[in-house]
Amino acid sequence: MSAHNHLAALNLLLTTQRPEILEKWTAEILKSWSKRLPNTFNVSEMRLHTAQLLEQVSQIFACYPTHGLWDFPESHPLALIMSEFSASRAVAGFTPTETAQYVMSLKSVLTLALIRVGITSAAELETNLSAVEDVIGRLTLVTFSAFVATRERIILGQSASLIDLSTPVIRLWDRVLLLPLVGVIDTARARKFTENLLEAITRYEASVTVIDVTGVPVFDTAVARHLMKTVDAAQLLGTRVVMTGLNPEGALTLTKLGITMPNVITRATLRTGVAEALALIGRRIVTIPSSQS
Amino acid sequence: MRIAIPRLGRILLCAIQQDLSDDDALEFQSNLLSTIADVEALGVVIDISALDVVDSFMARVINDTASMARLLGAEIIVCGIQPFVALTLVEMGQGLLGANCTFNLEQGLKTLQARIALRGDFTATKDDDEHFD
Repeated sequence: MSAHNHLAALNLLLTTQRPEILEKWTAEILKSWSKRLPNTFNVSEMRLHTAQLLEQVSQIFACYPTHGLWDFPESHPLALIMSEFSASRAVAGFTPTETAQYVMSLKSVLTLALIRVGITSAAELETNLSAVEDVIGRLTLVTFSAFVATRERIILGQSASLIDLSTPVIRLWDRVLLLPLVGVIDTARARKFTENLLEAITRYEASVTVIDVTGVPVFDTAVARHLMKTVDAAQLLGTRVVMTGLNPEGALTLTKLGITMPNVITRATLRTGVAEALALIGRRIVTIPSSQS
Repeated sequence: MRIAIPRLGRILLCAIQQDLSDDDALEFQSNLLSTIADVEALGVVIDISALDVVDSFMARVINDTASMARLLGAEIIVCGIQPFVALTLVEMGQGLLGANCTFNLEQGLKTLQARIALRGDFTATKDDDEHFD
């Protein structure tokens, strides 16, 4: 096979000295991961994985094309192994650098070993080195894109669950609903909680809705606009809206924007807002005479 | 010039005794707002009987303060607007839209108390509100 000829040195190295190369590579990885806590990865599992990987890489070098680039489709078993590995690192909270170093360190080990073999022909050395460069480089790219893809998926999942978790509509009393808003309000969240609120208002035929904005850190134009929409929509359904927990900065922003909310009852705290809401439906919280403290 | 904001229970009083520069007016506005938030004020009376002239900026500050105070859950009354000032405000097309007006401080307080008494949260929580008074 012609492939055997032009990468003879590399292939010989990978057949005769594989245990040594594997040992050096593993040592390199352990060195770069030494800052990690011992329980974030399993050393014996990693040794197994590197052996498997080196086996696959050797196979690629064994049938590396003489001319042109090596064909590396996404469905290649090596690509699959690497994406899987990279994804597991991303989930375990490894940094991109640490993950990339895993593959990159193989390159330095192979390069060093090739030089030590003592190839006399400069052209032969170049062919061997560029093959190493090409294969490991593309493996690194696959690793990296799999890492990023996994991270993206994690982030997407988290923001979706955040939207679901952080916008509950609480039924405070028979016909009183409470919408506590916590955190930054963006368009997606605003739409979600408005939908939730409107649905709940119709379901419980709420006559009063308390919107508490104590937990909203920034009050800018966008937030004010979202809030106005929510309030308007809620009022169209026939509920009174009580807004509570606005801070002085928020009040300043709203006024500077020319938003006065004439139909909304505003109260300083959730406590007074709840009292107001109860009063609107003719209820009141009283002390039980026997347990007066 | 710093304007004192004395407290009567959960009602805040402030009298603007002399013409304010634009910066002073804004400082007064932010002081009043933070005091409202601190004491969870139920009402505010602003006495401007000492002002002979109100320019458009001052009118705007009073207007804005009124709607901000409302957003913070306080009722607001402006009292003692002089005839000339009233005329200026109307001619500038800047009526004090956000606030109710009375002749003097006494009437202002009475009106305010009547309005506070109508509030749902006042009737519902006054048993527990002693620590504020």
